Amino acid sequence: MTSMQPLWWFALPVLLLPVWWHMRKRERTRTDILATARFLPAAAPQQQRVLHWSDVLLLLVRMALLFMLLAWLAVLVMPWKGDTVFVDPSLESSPWAAQQVQSAGMGAAAREPLPADLWNWLARNEHEWRPEARFLILAPRAAMPALPPRLAHAAELRLAPSAIAARPPVAAAAMPATPRKRQIAVSAPAERLPRWQALFAAFSTAADGVNLYVLSDTPTTDTELIVWDHPGNEPPASWKAPLWWRTAATNGQTQTPQGLAWTTPQWPLHDVDAARVLYERWQAATAHMSPYPMPAQTLKAGRKEPLAAPLARSPEWLALALLALFAIERILTHARRR
Amino acid sequence: MLETPALLAHSADLELVIRHVLAGLGHGIHAGRERGAGVEFSEYRAYAPGDEWRRVDWKLLARADRYYVREAERDSHVATWLVLDATASMAEPSRRVDGLSKHWYARTALACVAAIAQRQGDAFGLLVLSNGKVEFTQASRGPRHLQRVLAALQRATPSGGLPDTEALRASLHFARSQSMVFAATDALDWPSPLSEALVRLRHMRHDVRLLALRTEAEVEADFATGHAYRDPEEGARLHSFTRADRENYRTALDSHFGAVRTACRQHDVPLCEAQVEQPLGEVLRAWLRNPEARRP
Repeated sequence: MTSMQPLWWFALPVLLLPVWWHMRKRERTRTDILATARFLPAAAPQQQRVLHWSDVLLLLVRMALLFMLLAWLAVLVMPWKGDTVFVDPSLESSPWAAQQVQSAGMGAAAREPLPADLWNWLARNEHEWRPEARFLILAPRAAMPALPPRLAHAAELRLAPSAIAARPPVAAAAMPATPRKRQIAVSAPAERLPRWQALFAAFSTAADGVNLYVLSDTPTTDTELIVWDHPGNEPPASWKAPLWWRTAATNGQTQTPQGLAWTTPQWPLHDVDAARVLYERWQAATAHMSPYPMPAQTLKAGRKEPLAAPLARSPEWLALALLALFAIERILTHARRR
Repeated sequence: MLETPALLAHSADLELVIRHVLAGLGHGIHAGRERGAGVEFSEYRAYAPGDEWRRVDWKLLARADRYYVREAERDSHVATWLVLDATASMAEPSRRVDGLSKHWYARTALACVAAIAQRQGDAFGLLVLSNGKVEFTQASRGPRHLQRVLAALQRATPSGGLPDTEALRASLHFARSQSMVFAATDALDWPSPLSEALVRLRHMRHDVRLLALRTEAEVEADFATGHAYRDPEEGARLHSFTRADRENYRTALDSHFGAVRTACRQHDVPLCEAQVEQPLGEVLRAWLRNPEARRP
């Protein structure tokens, strides 16, 4: 059992508060003034300090409530997870993954899908794993982090051979592909509009149909490219996109408040080779940077304790228990006052 | 309207309360006005052997052929002394009726007696025993003096204990002429400087009337159990009260009041015991009733 915010345990003396309250209650027995009190038996002051049982119960409930509150604030967690295999979804059913699991001796280990930002995610969440647990990470590729990952658990990264990693697209070819839709806004004279449509239809077939270019008249927030084929006219000021293709007198690119604009006097609406050059230039400009690959390796535990994660949250059952204890405390207090 | 003690207790105006209590009581409860030789004619009385011949009305004898004696009103020489025990124990409230306490009851009863004395033409004075001191108001007659006495009663707040014997004896210098003494107390301290003073007054042949007040809860032992109780005149000592103590408490209280009764009977002091929840008019009637008439 570990605590993610252990400084809160310094507030434990707060538990003395209810004890003090109940002690004070004991001393302050209610006394009434009665003229004929002299005819009553004298009472020793110690006799007044007998605790009523509901008071003890209330004291216990209050102390439990405060302790629960502290535990909730201190994010008390119980590491319950054992050896775990993180498998990329594309490798989930591959025989290679099963073979790697067997060879690593983690046949009984739990399986979890590979999180997106693996190393940071592990650093944030590894307090959920028992100290002796091991990680086996099976992925087609991995990105090299800026600093070598330091985890509190041993981790082994195994990368799938490229042949196996390339298999999913083959499998994907069997089923209808779901290309990524990309929003394009085209504003062109009526005689050139079909040409633009043909151009983007041709672009949609490139690269095995990964992208599907959807044309519209006006841009939306998702629009990636605006084609403004009205030489001499200015587009509306409200139109914004990361990239503009505009017909202008000169070749070149300018940065405008509405986005980066590529200008050329003549767009290659008839020339296939020029269109391919444009397409490649466009793809190169918009392609994502590919990370530096991380080789397969075994990582030893780099630290004794998991990181104290500031964002770690207490389990929900603790909050529910806190609520229940609070309700019990209120009810008992009310019943005692009755 | 103001029939019950509860309603009366909420009236701050002592005079209004007196008027309501006395309205049901009538006049002439104690024979204050002496008849005999005097200036102002009161009534004719049949001649009895021994009457002075000069008091026989000869004209009436001529008319009626009978001997009648002229009776005239005479100013009363009886002074009425009101003694209010305003010690801390008198603050004991009624546990059934809100706003009613022994102090209120004693004060109002004495105010009624003062009003009656004023109507009858008696002189009346007041002693308030509070906080170990005696507050003394001279005996006098008249409505203005009544206002003075009512103000003194209104001012009195229950606190402290009784004055000691010496202080009380020093303020009994009034006791030379014949007087009636009305003392309202809770009689929880007995014997006490007050009881000794009353007995001494009685031995000086004054007419001493004692009103001993209790609350219903005291008589019935009807307090909340499980509390600690403190005597207001005793300091910080605590007393407990449980169900088992009820009988003992009753016995102790009964024996105490039995002793009070015995002492009163022994010294021929008429004792009127009352609970503050009783209607004030009845209690007042019982207190003022001529003790001779009560005896068989």
